[in-house]
Amino acid sequence: MTSIAMQRRRATAGRVWKQFRGSRQGMIGLTVLLIFVAMALAAPLIVDIRELNPVFARAAGNPQWAPPSEFGPLGTDHLRRSVWAQFVWGSRVSLFVGLAATVLTIFIGSVVGIVSGFVGGRLDAVMMRVTEWFLVIPFLPLAIVLASVLGRNVWNIIFVIGVTSWPSTARLVRAQVLTVKQRLFVDRSRSLGAGGFHLVGRHILPNVSGLILANATLAVPISILTETTLAFLGLGDPSSASWGKTLEEAFVNGAIVRNAWWYFLPAGLGILAVVLAFTLIGRTLEEIADPRLGQGR
Amino acid sequence: MMEADNNDRPMMGAEFILSVRDLNVTYQTTRGPVPAVRGVSFDLAAGDSLGLAGESGCGKSTIAAALLRLLPPGTTTTGEVTIDGKDLFSLSPGGLRAVRWTKEAIVFQGALHALNPVQTVGRQVCEPMLVHETESSQKAATEKGRNLFERVGLTADKLDYYPHQLSGGQRQRVLIAMALACDPDVLIADEPTTALDLMVQAQVLALIEELRRESALTLIFITHDLSVLAYVCERLAIMYAGRIVEEGRSSEVFDNPVHPYTRALAAAFPRIGDRSSRLAPSGLGGDPPTPGALPVGCPFHPRCPLAEDRCRDAEPGLRPAGPGRAAACVLV
Amino acid sequence: MRTGLSPIVSVEDVSVFFGSARAVDGVSLDVLPGEVLALVGESGSGKTTLIRAIQGLQSVSGGSIHHREKAEESKDLRSDSGVQMIFQDPTGALNPRQTVYDIVAEGLRIRREGTDEEKRVSDALARAGLRPPERFFPMYPHQISGGQRQRVVIAGAMVMNPVLLLADEPVASLDASIRGEILMLMRQLVDDTGLSILAVTHDLGLAWNIADRVAVMYLGRIVEIGTTEEILENPQHPYTRALLSVVPETRRMEQQILQGEIPDSKRIPAGCRFHPRCPLFRSGDLDETIAARCTTEDPHLTLGAGWHAACWAVDPQTK
Repeated sequence: MTSIAMQRRRATAGRVWKQFRGSRQGMIGLTVLLIFVAMALAAPLIVDIRELNPVFARAAGNPQWAPPSEFGPLGTDHLRRSVWAQFVWGSRVSLFVGLAATVLTIFIGSVVGIVSGFVGGRLDAVMMRVTEWFLVIPFLPLAIVLASVLGRNVWNIIFVIGVTSWPSTARLVRAQVLTVKQRLFVDRSRSLGAGGFHLVGRHILPNVSGLILANATLAVPISILTETTLAFLGLGDPSSASWGKTLEEAFVNGAIVRNAWWYFLPAGLGILAVVLAFTLIGRTLEEIADPRLGQGR
Repeated sequence: MMEADNNDRPMMGAEFILSVRDLNVTYQTTRGPVPAVRGVSFDLAAGDSLGLAGESGCGKSTIAAALLRLLPPGTTTTGEVTIDGKDLFSLSPGGLRAVRWTKEAIVFQGALHALNPVQTVGRQVCEPMLVHETESSQKAATEKGRNLFERVGLTADKLDYYPHQLSGGQRQRVLIAMALACDPDVLIADEPTTALDLMVQAQVLALIEELRRESALTLIFITHDLSVLAYVCERLAIMYAGRIVEEGRSSEVFDNPVHPYTRALAAAFPRIGDRSSRLAPSGLGGDPPTPGALPVGCPFHPRCPLAEDRCRDAEPGLRPAGPGRAAACVLV
Repeated sequence: MRTGLSPIVSVEDVSVFFGSARAVDGVSLDVLPGEVLALVGESGSGKTTLIRAIQGLQSVSGGSIHHREKAEESKDLRSDSGVQMIFQDPTGALNPRQTVYDIVAEGLRIRREGTDEEKRVSDALARAGLRPPERFFPMYPHQISGGQRQRVVIAGAMVMNPVLLLADEPVASLDASIRGEILMLMRQLVDDTGLSILAVTHDLGLAWNIADRVAVMYLGRIVEIGTTEEILENPQHPYTRALLSVVPETRRMEQQILQGEIPDSKRIPAGCRFHPRCPLFRSGDLDETIAARCTTEDPHLTLGAGWHAACWAVDPQTK
């Protein structure tokens, strides 16, 4: 019956896509996101990575602090590097860190939420207290401490974001699991002799997956902003130029005082656009997953 | 169907406390207009009791909502509803509020959801009296609430209880007390006993019967359970796909149905002790039609065991079927 | 009566307590092969708890449940595909994200009875009256009607070739015209395949329509049991008599509306648990010695075939 399963999955995907296409905010978000993803993937084809190297920039004879009118398309910084090159390559790091940290967040959050909600009892109580403990710790100080203890590289940043932002996902997933668990079809399956793994895999997960997906799209912008924050505070990976790093360097080197708007504006607007795109997509998916949300608007 | 109706009883709107003429209700949905009630007419004099029966989606609850103008905004309603000589659809909001509660009141199904969980039931019963100014002071209202509770068979100390502290039957009694708070002329009961146990249902039905006898209350009783209606109401109207398909005295309609649909519905509730239904459940093939996609011709013909070719052509109106009875079937 | 046949399920003095609440309080019951047994009672009578215990979804506090072809007593009948369940609310019993095929095949997959899965699913759907079955394979619960959903639930149970179906108010949430169709199907399954059905219901019309025997429950105990004709046409226990008198369909009896509601199972009255509401006891017409027993001695139903009532006044065999 795999063909029926395949057919069904295709039909579901088709239905979701049709609903998604009907939403203007969703399509705007998706278009913006696709532009940035394309830019990140095609970065090597757009700008030479050596443009990020100050030695190379000096050798190429770039001017310093040049506005876009003098050095296209986005001017240069204090080290004569092309801001355009930083913008293009920065999208790569920002998107990668955002997505990878989200995967980690959602994974931890979903596992904790499902296990806690499904098993219940004492385990639930313990897991929820731990979750609450993570939730009330001021997030930024913890992230700063972790980042400085673990060292400044991309994977550590991802880890830091992942372990600090899962609690809200866990609570959301747990709440949904608790309602699904009480549905009669779970009882029916149990009376057929189903064990825990079957119940979670066949009944619980399919009925919370929509929520998890929507939650994931909403978690990406938070991850990106967190990465930006950490990089801006000087805790980012010094070897990879994310948008947050660009902002930090622009700030530290007095771009604002010099009125060198071309230095920080592209990275700032890039973050804004990507965050907005993910939020719009997440909202739309959330409405599709839970039709009741759409009616209120 | 209006013509048949009018031939049967002379039009004397003034005599009737509630008069419904050619009521049509159409819901507007994203998939287009959905006709829920299509040309329903009936008249009720003071003290009358009418049972509306039918399956889910037949429009019976929509009629209840229309009679109180509780339909969602955007719903198209045509026809005429006259209550105590006033045209319901042309009432001002203030006039409407006075009509709700003081002229007609409703008892909903699902007694738990119809009550506010964080207010004592006493407060919920007394509040409408103050809002509608049928009682002048808090003290008078509380006194009235005490009387009402006694009338519906609850002790006065229950006034201070919260809904969750009461049993299902007691909550249903509270809802009836609420409905009676402003001495309405017409009581609309929408599946008031559906969620209740047999014995509690019997208690509530006996209460409604008693209240009706006491105060000449006009009753509209809505349910899917034909056997309950045959017991509570003098007249019975069977609805299918938004229309009345048979009406008449309830014992006659229940014992000797004319319309094939009523026959199937009556047989679904077996008479215990009746040998013909012993080990022989009786059902009806197919499913009730969706209001948005009614079959052409008689809407019942796809499920009708007696359907003929002509049933596919046109929808039959109500026609006389004996004294005080009418049915919408070409075979009558 | 099918006496002499060994029962499919024997419930022996089973109790289920939730804290101090005695939801099921010493129930004994045999379900015989090929019969429909209706377990009738109001909410709070413990009837749903009892069938959950028989299904193994609820552990028992006392007594035992024996299953035929199984020597040792089993507290977990879940491992036994011979007992299947159908539910009051078919819409809730079906996972909205699964197709009809997956729903019906679920039991087979859980038990890893994968051989000729498609044929068995197809047969079960056809047996439940969904024909042609292939048309229903890819459909989702929301694409079929309420009556068809209950048929899918029944197919999902029948695919396991059960010897006993536990039905919890199988038609209570269905429209009147569909109710008869589902009851017809249930009776037909019993007559064709020889399985047994234990149907929990408050609907005495259902019992009249399909049941061979009726057991009446009150406050965690069976108070009267017998053939459908015995119980519904000539009830003896005062509770059964009162219950039958208020069924709107029976207009031949004088109504006996009991006051109040079933007491809390945390506070079961001493003596006969029904005596505070019993019309017979309250009438004062009872013999003094009997009336004294009603308030002091808890009447027990006699076990065994035939009609029995747990009442000092009407059944001389009451112990």
